[in-house]
Amino acid sequence: MISFAAIGVGPFDTNLLSQALILATPILLAGIGELISERAGVINVGLEGMMLSGAFFAYLVDWKAHSAAIGLLGGIGGGLIFAVIMGLLAIEAGADQIVAGVAITLAAIGLTGFLFEQIFQNLQQITVHTVHSWSIPVLTKIPSFGPALFNHDPLVFLAFILVPIAWFLLFKTRWGLAIRAAGELPSAVDSAGISVRRVRWMGVLCAGGLAGLAGADLSIVQVGIFHEGMSAGLGYLALVAVIFGRWKPVGVLAAALVLGGTNALQLRVGEQPYIQSAFWGAIALIALIWLGFQARHRNAPSMTLTALLVVAGVVLLIVQPHISLTQPLWVGFPYAVALLVLAGSRTAARMPSALSVPYRRGQS
Amino acid sequence: MSDLTKSKIRQGVLDVALMLLVVVIALAIALVFIAIYGVSPGRAISAFLQGAFSGNFNLGSTLSKMVPLTLVALGWIVAFRGGRIQVGFPGQIITGGIFSSIVALKISLPIWLHLPLAVLAGMLGGGLCAWVAAWLWAKRGVNEILSTLLINLVMAQILDWWVQSPFHDPSTPLPQTRALPTSSLYPVLLTNTDLHWDIILLPVAVIVIAFVLARTVWGFKVRVCGANALVARHSGISPTRIGTQAMFWSGALAGLAGASLVLAGTTPAMGEVFEGGVGFNGIAVALLARNSPWGVIPAALLFAALAQGGQVMQATVNISSELVGIIQGLMIMLVLAATTMLYLTQRRRRKGPGERELVPPPELRGAELGATP
Repeated sequence: MISFAAIGVGPFDTNLLSQALILATPILLAGIGELISERAGVINVGLEGMMLSGAFFAYLVDWKAHSAAIGLLGGIGGGLIFAVIMGLLAIEAGADQIVAGVAITLAAIGLTGFLFEQIFQNLQQITVHTVHSWSIPVLTKIPSFGPALFNHDPLVFLAFILVPIAWFLLFKTRWGLAIRAAGELPSAVDSAGISVRRVRWMGVLCAGGLAGLAGADLSIVQVGIFHEGMSAGLGYLALVAVIFGRWKPVGVLAAALVLGGTNALQLRVGEQPYIQSAFWGAIALIALIWLGFQARHRNAPSMTLTALLVVAGVVLLIVQPHISLTQPLWVGFPYAVALLVLAGSRTAARMPSALSVPYRRGQS
Repeated sequence: MSDLTKSKIRQGVLDVALMLLVVVIALAIALVFIAIYGVSPGRAISAFLQGAFSGNFNLGSTLSKMVPLTLVALGWIVAFRGGRIQVGFPGQIITGGIFSSIVALKISLPIWLHLPLAVLAGMLGGGLCAWVAAWLWAKRGVNEILSTLLINLVMAQILDWWVQSPFHDPSTPLPQTRALPTSSLYPVLLTNTDLHWDIILLPVAVIVIAFVLARTVWGFKVRVCGANALVARHSGISPTRIGTQAMFWSGALAGLAGASLVLAGTTPAMGEVFEGGVGFNGIAVALLARNSPWGVIPAALLFAALAQGGQVMQATVNISSELVGIIQGLMIMLVLAATTMLYLTQRRRRKGPGERELVPPPELRGAELGATP
């Protein structure tokens, strides 16, 4: 698949870069959708279920239609089914959004598992058509990192192009203003004569469609197969990315890259017999950068924690112990990092004020 | 009979009727799925009922499945009444199971000491797992829903490693622990069934939680924090401290459920998938019970019957037991929709001129996201 020479230190080479972009893509796609939804005031814990549904329906449609492009549409549809349910519960009925999200995830796990077992139980494992990768003509020729950055499947490019598009839509258009206002002060949207319900519906549908596309990326773009519970928590990572990204498109991009990079690193380091020194060096470096970031924002209590992390990284780099972790622990690593990221960043102040609060006219 | 009692009774009857309606609609939708796959609904229903209730073995399995579901549902209720929405039950069950397995395998004691110790260790494990999320919420302002979801994912991997490496049974390639000694297991209550003595936890836990929440000072504080954090703070109750405690005990109940799953399971060992979806289904049970400790018993019976009957249905009429997952998701959605509609229509009817605005019950208000204490 990747045939160019890898350049870099230890596990940190251009292969890792390429892998990080691929793994960041589903988080970014779902994250951008969730960003729009949360900006409109609807938190979507069902993102995980919508992603799983997208992965299954993309696979099913791809298999029936023999076309990956139509399969992608199937994925979007799979996400939208549950987005409609989410909208009915959260916007029309005004129910608790978090509980609704949990219900959607449960129902999606059940529905995809049920249909998968009923339809495919007597068939061999089927690999469907996958999407061909594109290489950007001139840029791929750049030595060393050119192929890693510019030779990917179209969804990778789409995900990254969505970041400026989402920024433009949210911050430079009337539509974006209505979305943001619906998340901050819905009564203002209402008095301006714009329907809060309609604005929030658009947010929820954006989240569902993009989460479905992210699911399609997992099943018919990355591997060409489906298995039960395929989304494996990536939907939750997308939720973390929105919070860590402080409800801004560029922030979501950065968070998706960090989480995707961690996931790629986990896959690479997990293969090695023991943890290489470059890994400890990277921890020290990342912690140092984070420390600088915190110093700028004067975030004193968590600075001590980060400083300790820098020291720990440097000590381990010098001592170079032969530590090895088994596969499962590496798989859990990105989630643990996401947890640390949440603990280390105080973001509540940037949260849309009306997030998860149902809007009822004349009651605010 | 006073007017207040009358209206309370009317409300109760309405609630029960509504929940029954929800169950009927969800089951009807499930029958549609069954019919699509060419199985006659009559055959499916009889296979299901037989699987869930017929004979000692099936009935015993259903009852034994009720225990962890009830405990988790009670855990949700404790946290929810305190205004905290924690969804880390799968992770807490796993931590509880791991702690129980340590005590069960590493210590040898007579049963009257070994079993209680293993059970307490499970509670402690679940409580600690929830306390991590509670601490992150109280001290770092981390939204407890997201942190518990992430902890679930981490704990699932730790369990994977736990049953493959340090506690793996070398005599089998399966990812499971060595056989736990009999002195650490709940004794079987009914021979040749899965029904163990842990069934007594069911009434005991329901009574204790109902009593604590309704009749003790701590329970009152929990309810005040959940109903209105501002009022709590003004009356000298710290919503942060009470919320943390509520989450710890909520996790401890999930840990107790984990101990039951390990120490009263079908095989006397802890496997990779012993949690089996109980964590999230427990939430569904609590919602169907409308967050009332007493309502948990019928709701848990229904969900346990669904799980047990669904397994048998898969074996006899070849319908995937994943169908149960659809039913459970549907039920939560319908409960949410129904309770909200009920509240809205009642509000519209009661809000005559000069009457005060009804305060919406906590389950209808949006959760306080990231509420930094």
